[in-house]
Amino acid sequence: MNYWLQRVGMAVLLLLTVSALTFGAMNVLGDPLFNILGPAAADVNNPANAEKIAAARAEYNLDDPLPVRYVKWLGDFVTGDMGVQFSSTGQPPVTNLIQERLPRTLTLLVMAQAFAVVLAVPWALFSASKANKTPDKVSTLASFAMIALPAFALAVILKYLLAIKLGWFPLAYRASDSFPKRLWQTVLPALTIALPAAAVYQRLLRTDLITTLQEDFILMARSKGVSRRDVLYKHALRPSLFSFVTVFGINTGALIGGAFVVEKIFLIPGLGLTIVESIAREDFPVVLAIVMIVTAAFVVLNVLIDVLYSLIDPRVRAS
Amino acid sequence: MSAAFGTGTGAPPVVEAADAMAPSATTEGVLRRRLGWMFWIALAWIVVLSLAAILAPWLPIRGIEEKRILPPPDFPPYSPSGDFWFGSDTLARDIFARTIYGARVSLVVGFAAIGFGMIVGGSLGIIAGYFRGLADRLISFVFIIALSFPSLVLAILITSLVNRSLFTVSATLGVLAIAPVGRLARATTIQYADREFVVAARTIGASHTRIIVRELLPNVVIPMGALGLLGMAVAIVAEGSLAFLGLSVEDGVTWGKVIVDGAGSRELQEAPWMAFSPILMLFITVLALNYCGDRLRAHFDVKEISL
Repeated sequence: MNYWLQRVGMAVLLLLTVSALTFGAMNVLGDPLFNILGPAAADVNNPANAEKIAAARAEYNLDDPLPVRYVKWLGDFVTGDMGVQFSSTGQPPVTNLIQERLPRTLTLLVMAQAFAVVLAVPWALFSASKANKTPDKVSTLASFAMIALPAFALAVILKYLLAIKLGWFPLAYRASDSFPKRLWQTVLPALTIALPAAAVYQRLLRTDLITTLQEDFILMARSKGVSRRDVLYKHALRPSLFSFVTVFGINTGALIGGAFVVEKIFLIPGLGLTIVESIAREDFPVVLAIVMIVTAAFVVLNVLIDVLYSLIDPRVRAS
Repeated sequence: MSAAFGTGTGAPPVVEAADAMAPSATTEGVLRRRLGWMFWIALAWIVVLSLAAILAPWLPIRGIEEKRILPPPDFPPYSPSGDFWFGSDTLARDIFARTIYGARVSLVVGFAAIGFGMIVGGSLGIIAGYFRGLADRLISFVFIIALSFPSLVLAILITSLVNRSLFTVSATLGVLAIAPVGRLARATTIQYADREFVVAARTIGASHTRIIVRELLPNVVIPMGALGLLGMAVAIVAEGSLAFLGLSVEDGVTWGKVIVDGAGSRELQEAPWMAFSPILMLFITVLALNYCGDRLRAHFDVKEISL
């Protein structure tokens, strides 16, 4: 119990630090007034503008010292109010914008991870059962090459082959289409993220499987007459999943980065495309919100991974 | 643990599997001392490419903005030929030249980023691992914070806030390298800090500085170098990702920017070589860096777990 308290406490501390750092950086380095008022913000001597500036400062709390603004923002954020966009209208509120965009990125990521696992586990079982024979060597080579292929390069290649040349997949994402249609439009981007991830998982799982297959209890099972297949599925797989589960969690963070780029290439208006747009406008409430959501997801995920870890390996709970 | 026992299950002993277990000086170790010819080919590619990048202004290739119009019936974009090794873009600019010049920026970004990460992260990691105590706790906490940002998001955040010169993009990616490199340096230092030769040095009255520089640093630098090659590949790829988000180095060409130019649906349909030639170069380079790093890591027995 103590362990979990510590774990959760650490996660909260982490989120606070990250949010403070991000908030500080965005406020010190950007000029929010400019984004609200445009060039008028610099023209302080003009009395007409001075009034506007004062109004904007009051409305966006820009006159408070930084720590006060941070606490205010944090209080709002935790209760689900992510503030107003820094634009002349401030519409729609950041919360609504995120509510609209987040599910698209989430769909993309979940689909990608699902594809990756579905590909990686059989692939690893196959190559571990044929360890160091030709099929395994070929698959090792393939996974090595796949890992060296960056997400954006794979995106371009798949887009060219599957969407342009073969025409199997649609080229663009249309937010106005029905949900099943949009799911279908997400398949190719998800595949782009999934293939290199699958290669990473396969490499890891294969190594662990081979290590497990050398354990005494496997020899025991085999000598009892359990078939090779059953040994692989029922005895070897579960104890080989530890590092896979850990890396699955850690990798999700990396995949979020990849997803942002893939969103840009396939023009899916998810968080990635949104953050790029808001950066161009120096609209920092939006950027801040997205950074916080992504980081929070990442941290929470890591705690979850720990829970999962203790479910697979009872020894972790005991210690 | 049990690697010493069951090799009788049919699966032959696997070097990779042994890697994960313990740093061993067994017979496998001797086998692993050989780097293999693939390693040298990969290294040769990196050297040749680096030379080409460094010497680009003096090589007989076209400038990055130089347009060369061929006589009709050809119209740009030209497909790959003797005139244009990698083809040309829609403005009749030579993709080969742009790729070589792009390598200048991409390689510098990769090299500078990982160099920065190794100097800062390495120092922090060694200090944490050697002195332990409060310094270790503080530094480890900083590493954890850095690692809890998804790295590309952090890169997006920083590059969006500063002007995007070669220096700032390299420095941004360098900051990202600090935590992974630092963790490795810390883990390796802890491994060595209680070894006999370190204790001996301390016994004869060597100062902390001397122990760190003379005894620990040489042992920590090797695994860091292997990670450095992998990190360089990561940094080069990260530059490409930033380019796709419009956040790469503003002046000149980079691999990322050359690929972006060719990645639009229309360009892909009309002139696929615009994107695929630089992608191929990038892919081979990343492959070579990964392979060299991997071989070195196996060679020097760096434990996967400490990465």
